[in-house]
Amino acid sequence: MDAQNPILAPAPAGAPSLRANRVRPGRRVADKILITASTAATMLGILVLGSILLMLIVEGVKGFSPLLFTQPTPGPGTEGGGIANAIVGSMVLTFLGIVIATPVGLMAGTFLAEYGRGSKLADVIRFLNDILLSAPSILIGLFVYTLMVRPMGSYSGWAGGVALAIIATPVIVRTTEDMLRLVPSQMREAGAALGAPPSHVIKTITWRAASAGIVTGIILALARIAGETAPLLFTALNNNNWFNANLLGGIPNLPVMIYQFALSPYSNWQGLAWSGALLITITILALSVIARIVVKDQRAR
Amino acid sequence: MSPTSTLSSQLTSRNPADETAPVRIAVKDLNFYYGQFHGLKNVNLNFHDRQVTALIGPSGCGKSTLLRTFNRIYSLYPEQRATGQILLDGQNVLDPKIDLNELRARVGMVFQKPTPFPMSIYDNVAFGLRLYERLPKSELDGRVEDALRKSALWDEVKDKLKQAGTGLSGGQQQRLCIARSVAQRPEVILFDEPTSALDPISTGRIEELIEQLRNEFTIVIVTHNMQQAARISQFTAFMYLGELIEFAPTTKMFMNPEKRQTQDYITGRFG
Repeated sequence: MDAQNPILAPAPAGAPSLRANRVRPGRRVADKILITASTAATMLGILVLGSILLMLIVEGVKGFSPLLFTQPTPGPGTEGGGIANAIVGSMVLTFLGIVIATPVGLMAGTFLAEYGRGSKLADVIRFLNDILLSAPSILIGLFVYTLMVRPMGSYSGWAGGVALAIIATPVIVRTTEDMLRLVPSQMREAGAALGAPPSHVIKTITWRAASAGIVTGIILALARIAGETAPLLFTALNNNNWFNANLLGGIPNLPVMIYQFALSPYSNWQGLAWSGALLITITILALSVIARIVVKDQRAR
Repeated sequence: MSPTSTLSSQLTSRNPADETAPVRIAVKDLNFYYGQFHGLKNVNLNFHDRQVTALIGPSGCGKSTLLRTFNRIYSLYPEQRATGQILLDGQNVLDPKIDLNELRARVGMVFQKPTPFPMSIYDNVAFGLRLYERLPKSELDGRVEDALRKSALWDEVKDKLKQAGTGLSGGQQQRLCIARSVAQRPEVILFDEPTSALDPISTGRIEELIEQLRNEFTIVIVTHNMQQAARISQFTAFMYLGELIEFAPTTKMFMNPEKRQTQDYITGRFG
């Protein structure tokens, strides 16, 4: 049978090898060029990113000492001190921001994916959310300045928290909607087919099915606002001391501290700015790694 | 071997249709629309108590659409609507005043793809029970066990009730979904191609299960597989282009159909 099969039959002697001219030479060259170009571009990216990280680690680690985490920022031109007040301040501001943004983002994302499916209102909200997602953060700082700082007559941690929340919200809205849309509609139908009202289906089935993705979105939003500087310039400002418990007045925070100290002529301040920058980078890296682990964990299940 | 003789060999071991069984669901002048598209055209049909009725027909003929009207699951999608009457024990299901959640507790549904919820096996089965009944723990345990036994899944999962339902195999997941419906003690269970995503062995188990469930529930099953319809159903309805072409006891339908189109479809001439 094989003997009659033209594919399996051996090629007659002297027939030209099929492989030789299958690929035009131009194709091979184009292939090489594309591989080279994309490899070079990747290398360039790694080189830039690598040198930034390397510089950051070399300069930042110098300042790492117990004092860094226990002492507040020193006055201009003085030696010693740490960035403890900025670390705690940043944690408070970021926490405030995410605490405000999470419920708003989660609910809005749920509306877009569940209740507002296909409605005009949802389309408009989604469009505006996408604009907010890429809005310049300095604009958001100015917005909160007029909204809160001017009427309250003082810079405050509250204003800083709200500004960060406005940055984080569209990120959470977007990921929540995307993750809920990945839940198959059959899952919702199965819930409804058992007699569960939509709110119950959302609470017990779709949110749960999308939980890893939603949590990842929140962590990524956290990473995003942890390093934001511009919205804090007009809202939380900065402070070289410990801040008030009522969060009124300037709140020390890492990004604005880095901005001010790095531009200063004092080498002590510049050193602290490097250490602060390294600390933020490590935090954001850690958050991104956690987000990846959460996603992997969900896939494994 | 011609297709009809294959089918008739499947027919031998079946329970005969009981045409005197009371009517559970009576469909009267049912029309269905997807937006502008007229999906079902003047369907009139009766489903008998504790009988398996198979809906067959080529893709897009409206068999799933018909199934989805019985528990009004289509109403999740605003552009879909139905007119006419579907009487479940004399009560019109299409009446806008009917309580949808109560209706769906009376009419269970199992889907093409297994849809275990992201929770434990126990919680999956208890999901429907917890919705409207506040049962003491011991009774809830009993109902869950009972439902899993009736779905032929108990022996496989009794030691891992706390594990995720999504960790089961495809066939087990589908039986879990059946258990979830059975736990609510519905009157009717709708199956929408329940085995088309399963391997032959799992398919066999589900078919056996449907045969057993018939003792307690009225069953309507949509299937693409005519051998399956021949194996498990007492009645068969053949649909084409949104119309009901023929409805008859399965034996008669496959041995001696009245309509030319039915004959052509079951002998594989189109579809």
